[in-house]
Formats: sequence, structure tokens, C-alpha cells
Amino acid sequence: MDEKKACEAPARVMECALDMGETMLRCGAEILRVEDTVTRICTAYGGGIVDVFTILSLIILSWKADDGKNYTLARRINPYPTDLKKLEELNALSRYICEKKPPCDEIEQQICAIMAPAKKRIYKSKITGYVLLASAFTLFFGGSLRDSLAAGVVAVLMYLWDYLFSAHGRNRVVYSLAISIVAGILCILSVFVGIGQHIDMVMIGSIMLLIPGISLMNSLRDMMCGDIITGILRLAEALMMAVAIAAGFGIAIMMLGGLL
Amino acid sequence: MIVQFCEKYMVMIVTAAAGTLGYCLLINVKRNKIVYGCLGGVVSTFLYCACVEAGLTPLLQNLIPAAVVTLYAEVLARVIKAPATVFLIPSIIPLVPGGRLYYTMRAIVDGDADSAKIYAMETIVIALGIAVGIVVISLVFYHISHKNIQYKVRFEPLRKNWERGED
Repeated sequence: MDEKKACEAPARVMECALDMGETMLRCGAEILRVEDTVTRICTAYGGGIVDVFTILSLIILSWKADDGKNYTLARRINPYPTDLKKLEELNALSRYICEKKPPCDEIEQQICAIMAPAKKRIYKSKITGYVLLASAFTLFFGGSLRDSLAAGVVAVLMYLWDYLFSAHGRNRVVYSLAISIVAGILCILSVFVGIGQHIDMVMIGSIMLLIPGISLMNSLRDMMCGDIITGILRLAEALMMAVAIAAGFGIAIMMLGGLL
Repeated sequence: MIVQFCEKYMVMIVTAAAGTLGYCLLINVKRNKIVYGCLGGVVSTFLYCACVEAGLTPLLQNLIPAAVVTLYAEVLARVIKAPATVFLIPSIIPLVPGGRLYYTMRAIVDGDADSAKIYAMETIVIALGIAVGIVVISLVFYHISHKNIQYKVRFEPLRKNWERGED
């Protein structure tokens, strides 16, 4: 154990720990989980005192390692779509690291394997998800079968829009405003063409696709754990997105409401 | 009574299961854990319907299902060793007030201030109910699982030296 600890330079360990923290935060982990993981990895490879500070877009890690020197690294985090599968794999990886203490090269390889950028292609599972979500919730809120069919068609078109113009990494609020205007126009057109019957039900189904549920949930969990700053940041983002969605559909109704 | 309940809410429960499945695919939950998310969605919808039938206030209608589902997710997370979020987010989705948000927006667009106020109020109350339900249960689990967390005490060695010096 001690030999292993000795052969890893503190700066290298810190980089690995930050990689783990960054990827977890991007995939949608809570702040507590990120800080806990980073601290655990650092202490697994050597004693000393670890300080981590994390907000939504930044991780600062300062470590007074066994050799008596202070090391500090900071990392800017860019937004990334939530992916709970990757989060789960990263969680399992961090358990493995703290237990087995593998060399840093292996950790980096594993992180790269998990986060490897998938080819940009049309995922069948995602289309199924979009269609199921929109159609099911149209029925859930009391629409007819034809409404749910219309919502399904709108969902497919929204997925294509998302695929072509997805702006992850840029301003999510403006992006959700844009996509909700498009979705609203599509909903109105679908009723105008005659697929759907009730415009409100079709629209509710497509609103459920856009609702920022994960931001809201994570903001609650962060605030509860004492990370008020990140909780407020996430809450503000979620509220702004909700307002942007409402505004987008409102603009669509104002533009094309005369058709109905 | 049970038959009536089933007839009235069967569509909601089945569609909630389908919608939750869709959401799981959307946020890329691991394939072998989608079942638990769907089950949570069914449980939350069932409880919501039961609370509506029992005539509770809108706050409690959402608070009770959210609390129960959070309990379910936290217990499952400890049994299956995965983050609780994986089970919690899909389970909560049927409770999200998407319909109220739409009607609020519609009333604002139509210039109907009175109904806009009512709908906005309902949206906020529902969101608050869900939030309180999640927070209450998670707080209990948070305190259980982080009871033994230990921070290194930075000034401990210093103080020892100082005490020794005094002696």
C-alpha cells in the first residue's frame, strides 16, 4: 500500500480526483457527492488535509499533501446533458478507486472509456423516450388518443430539432425558449392539420418533455445538504427555464393562435 | 369501491408508467434499473389518485406521494448501491405540474388575470408540496448516512504542541 502511495505524485492524484469530480458534476451529481468523491480519492492516495469547494461551474481543490507542500487546482465546468448511466458508472468507479487504489493511468483510461464522446447519431432509445413521454402524458392529463398521436409526432420533430441544433454548452435558457417556440408552432400546426383535437392537451404533452425536472430536484437536494449557493444557482436556472418554456409557448400561441 | 377507483384512474396509472419509462430513456438510466423507476412512477401516481379520492388539499396530495417515493428511492439506493437520483427523478415526474404551467401561461396570454393568479398559485403550491415531501425524507436519510463523517482537525497538532510547551 505504502509503495503505491509513494509512486503517485500529488499533482497527478489531484488531476484524477478533479477529473472524477468534473465528470460526475457534468452528469448531474449533487455537490455533496462530488466533494465527497474528490476528498475520498485524495485521502486514499495519501494523508494530509483536503479542501474542496464546488459550485455549479467551478471546482477548487487544495491539498496539503504528506510532503508538506500545498497544491491547488481549479477547474471550470461546462454544462453537459444529464446522463444517469454515466453517473452510475462513475460512482462505481470511485468506489473501486477508494478500495483498490489503482495507478492514475488506469483511472484516466477508465474515465475516458466512460466519457468517450459517442458518435452524433439518432438514438432509437431517445426517440422512443421522447414519443412515450409526450404521448403518455397527453393521455395522463386527459387528452384523447388522437391528441396523443399528435403529441408523438411533435415529439419526433422536436427530437430532430434537438439533434440538429442542440446547444449544450451554450445558454440553456435561451435554447429552451427557442425550442419551446418551435414546439408550440408544431403543436398548433398538428391541430390545424387535423391530427390532434385539443390544442391544450397536445401542448401539455410537449411541455412535459422540456420541464427542467433534474435541475429542480438537484437544487432541492443541494440546499438540503447545506450547499445553498449551488442550490440557488440551480433553482434560478430551473425557474428561468420554466419561464422561458411558458414564454415560448405563449409566443407561439400569439403568432399562430388565429389558425384555430 | 376498488373497482370504481380502478375504472376511474386506470388510464392515469398506466400512462404514468409509460411516461416514466419514456423519461428514463430520455435521461439514459441504465437498462436494468428502468423497472424501478417505472415502479416508482406507478406508486406516486397511485398515491396521488388515492389522496385525490380521499379529498385532501392540493398540498398534501403532492406531499404524501413525494415523501413515500423518496423513501422508496433512498431505501432502494442503499440496497442496489446506485445514486438515489436514479430512482427519484423518474418517480417524481408524474407529479410535476406541467398542466398547471400550461394553463397559467394560457391565461396570461389570453389576458385573464384572475385565472392566471389561481393557476400560478396552484402551480406553486404543488411544487412546494413536492419539494417539502422530498426534503423531509431525504433529510432523515442524510443525517443517518452522514452521521459518522469526520473532518480532519487542522489545528489539533498545533494545540498539542502549545499545550506541551506550556507544561
